[in-house]
Amino acid sequence: MSRDTNRLLGHADEADGIEEYDNPLPDWWLGLFWLTILWSIGYVAWFALTNQSQVGWYEDEVAAADERWPEQANAAVQFAYSAEAAAAGAEIYATNCLVCHGENLEGGIGVSFIDDEWIHGGQAEEVVAIIRNGELSRGMPAWGQILSPEQVNQVASYILEGHAAATGRTMEEIMAPPAEDGPGA
Amino acid sequence: MESSASAVMPGTPSTRTNYDDQIVKMFFTATVVWGIVGMLVGVIIALQLAWWPANLGLPWTSFGRLRPLHTNAVIFAFAGNVCFLGIYHSMQRLLKTRMWNDTLSRIHFWGWQAIIVSAALTLPLGLTQSKEYAELIWPIDVAITVVWVVFAVNFFATIAIRKVSHLYVAIWFYMSFVITIAVLHIVNSLAIPVTATLSYPLYSGLTDALVQWWYGHNAVGFFLTTPFLGLMYYYLPRAADRPVYSYRLSIIHFWALVFLYIWAGPHHLLYSALPEWAQTLGMVFSIMLLAPSWGGMLNGLLTLRGAWDRVRTDPILKMMVVAVSFYGMSTFEGPMMSIRAVNGLAHYTNWVIGHVHSGALGWVGMISFAILYWLAPRLWNRELAHPKWVDAHFWLATIGIVIYTVAMWAAGLMEGLQWRAINDLGQLANPSFVDITARLQPFLWLRLLGGTMYLVGVIMMGINFWQTIRGPGKPSETAPATAAA
Ligand code: HEM
Ligand code: HEM
Repeated sequence: MSRDTNRLLGHADEADGIEEYDNPLPDWWLGLFWLTILWSIGYVAWFALTNQSQVGWYEDEVAAADERWPEQANAAVQFAYSAEAAAAGAEIYATNCLVCHGENLEGGIGVSFIDDEWIHGGQAEEVVAIIRNGELSRGMPAWGQILSPEQVNQVASYILEGHAAATGRTMEEIMAPPAEDGPGA
Repeated sequence: MESSASAVMPGTPSTRTNYDDQIVKMFFTATVVWGIVGMLVGVIIALQLAWWPANLGLPWTSFGRLRPLHTNAVIFAFAGNVCFLGIYHSMQRLLKTRMWNDTLSRIHFWGWQAIIVSAALTLPLGLTQSKEYAELIWPIDVAITVVWVVFAVNFFATIAIRKVSHLYVAIWFYMSFVITIAVLHIVNSLAIPVTATLSYPLYSGLTDALVQWWYGHNAVGFFLTTPFLGLMYYYLPRAADRPVYSYRLSIIHFWALVFLYIWAGPHHLLYSALPEWAQTLGMVFSIMLLAPSWGGMLNGLLTLRGAWDRVRTDPILKMMVVAVSFYGMSTFEGPMMSIRAVNGLAHYTNWVIGHVHSGALGWVGMISFAILYWLAPRLWNRELAHPKWVDAHFWLATIGIVIYTVAMWAAGLMEGLQWRAINDLGQLANPSFVDITARLQPFLWLRLLGGTMYLVGVIMMGINFWQTIRGPGKPSETAPATAAA
C-alpha cells in the first residue's frame, strides 16, 4: 500500500461531506482478482478438455471400491432361503424396517408384504433388488449401502417367509425368475 | 465530535433543508419491531431443533411453518426495513433533495408492512409456494411487485431531481438493489393462479430449480449484500469521520460484484441434475466473486485507518469493524463452499447454516445495529437513554455470533464426515442417519445459546430506543455538533 497517494478527490460537497481518496487498487487485491480469473479459466479448460463429469467420478469411485472390496462388488445377492436366514432376518427387520413396514409386515408408511400386491414385482430377485437399491423417491432407503449382502439375504428371507405364510404362495414360486416383460408377476 | 480538516461534514440539519425524516423514523421503528420478532422466531426454531416438544404438536407452530416465517421476517422485514430507512435517510442527503413524492414513500412504507403482516399470517397457516425465500402466495407476490414499483419510481425520480451532479458510490449500490430485486422477484414468481391461495409455477423441474436458485443466490447478493454495502459506504465514513479509502476500488469492485453475482446461482445445485457446464459456470463465477467482495471489506477497513484509536472505544465503530470483518469472512467461505469437492462435504449440513448466519448475524445484523445507534440520536435529537448498553449489545452479539457459527461449523463437519465415512468392509461406517442426527444435539443447544445472546442484545437495543424516544431525555449533543460542523 506504499503507492497510496491519499489525495482527496474533492467530491465532498456532492456526497454529504464524505470525501474520497484517489488511492490505487491495492496490488495484492488486484493480484488476487487476476488469480481467481486465471484459475477459473484453467478449471473450465481442465473440466471440458479432459472430459470430467460427476457421473465419471462416481463410476471411478465405484470401480475403486469394487476393486478394494470384491466381496461387496460380487454381492449380486443370490437369494438363498433358509429358516435360519429368516430367523436372523427377524432382528434386522425389527431394527431397520419395522417402523415403516409394520410389526407384522402389514405395512404402514411403507407397503404391506402380506397381500398379493407388489409394485416392483414379487419374485425374490425383484424384492432383493428393491431392498438393496431402495425407492428413494418414496422414502425407501437403499439398504445395500447399509446392510451386508448376507444381511440383505436374511431380511429378504424373513419378509418372503412371512409373505408366503400369509398368501399361500410357495417358496418355489417366489424364487422363480421374474417374468420377462417386467414386474408384476 | 472532532472532525479533521480533510473530512468536514457540511451536511445541513434536516430541519433547514427540509428532508423527509418522518419516513426514516417510520422505517426505523418497523426495523426494530420486526428485528425482535424475526429473531425471536429464530430462537424458537433453534429450540425446536434441539428439543422437539417445542413444536407443541400443532401444525401452526411446527418447525416447517415457523422456519419460513423466520427467514421472511429477518430478511424482508428486518433487513428490508433497514435498507429502506438507510436509503431514505442517506439518499436525500447525498442528492441534496427531499424525496420526489412523500405519498409514494408512505405507500411504500404501509404497503411493505402490510405485506409482512400477511406473510406472518399465511406462513403459519401453511399457505406457501414452497420456494425458499419466495414462499409467499401469489396475491402477496403481486402486492410486492406493486409496492416495489412504487418505491422504484420514487427512488429514480428523486435521483432525477437531484441537486448534485456526481452520484456517490452508495447510490450505485442502492440502484443495483432496486433494479435487480424487481427483476429477480418478478421472474422467479411467475405462476398461473388456480385459486386465491394456490398457483403453479410457470417453470417445472430443472428449469424451476435453476430459476429458483438464480433468485435465491441473488436475494443474498442484492438484498443482503449490495444495499448494505451502499449503507456501509455512507454510514461508515460518516461515523468514522474519515475519507473513503479508494474511489477507484469502489468503482471496480462495484461493477465486478454486480456482474459476477448474477451468474453464481448454480453453486446451490452442485452435483444435481443441472447440466454440468452450468454447474461449472456457477462455481467459477463464485470463485471470481472473492476479490470483488473483499474490495468492499477493504474499502471499509482501510477507511478506518487513522481512526483506530476511536475504534477501540466507540461501540458503533466496533460494530462496523466486526460487520465488515464477517462480511469478508463469509465471502471467503462462500467461494470455498462453491468448489465442488468442498460443497460435496458441506451441502445439506449445518455448515451451510453457519455460513448463512455468519453473513446474516455478523454482516447484516451488526452493520444494521451500528447504523441504528448512529442514527437514533440524530433523528430524534436526543442522547441515547443507555449509552453503556450499546457496548453490552456489541459484546453479546459478537460472542453470540461466534458461539452460533462455531457450533454450526463443528456440527456440519461432523455430519458431512460421518455421512460419507466407510468402514473396513466397504460399508457405511454410520449406517443410521438418525444416529448421526442425534449426535448433533449438543451443537444445537450451543447454537440456541448463541442465538439467545444475540436476541437479548437486540431486545436491549429496542428498550434503549424506546426509552430514548419516549423518555424525558436531554437534547442530544451529537446531532447539533454535526449540524454545526
Ligand atoms: C437470534 C438470531 C437468530 C437465530 C437464533 C436464528 C436461527 C435460525 C435457525 C434455527 C434456522 C434454521 C436452521 C435449520 O434449518 O437447520 C435459521 C435459518 C435461517 N436464518 Fe436465522 N437465526 C437468527 C437470525 C437471523 C438473521 C438476522 C438472519 C438474516 C438477516 C437470518 C437468516 C436465516 C436464513 C437465510 C436461514 C435459512 C438458511 C438456509 O436455508 O440455509 N437468521 N435461523
Ligand atoms: C462471495 C460471496 C458468497 C458466495 C460465493 C457464497 C456461496 C454459497 C454457497 C456455495 C452456499 C451453499 C449452497 C449449498 O450447498 O446448499 C451458500 C449458501 C448460502 N449463503 Fe452464501 N455465499 C456468499 C456470501 C454470502 C453472504 C454474504 C451471505 C449473507 C449475508 C450469504 C448467505 C447465504 C445463504 C442464506 C445461504 C443458504 C441458501 C439456502 O437456503 O440453501 N452468502 N452460499
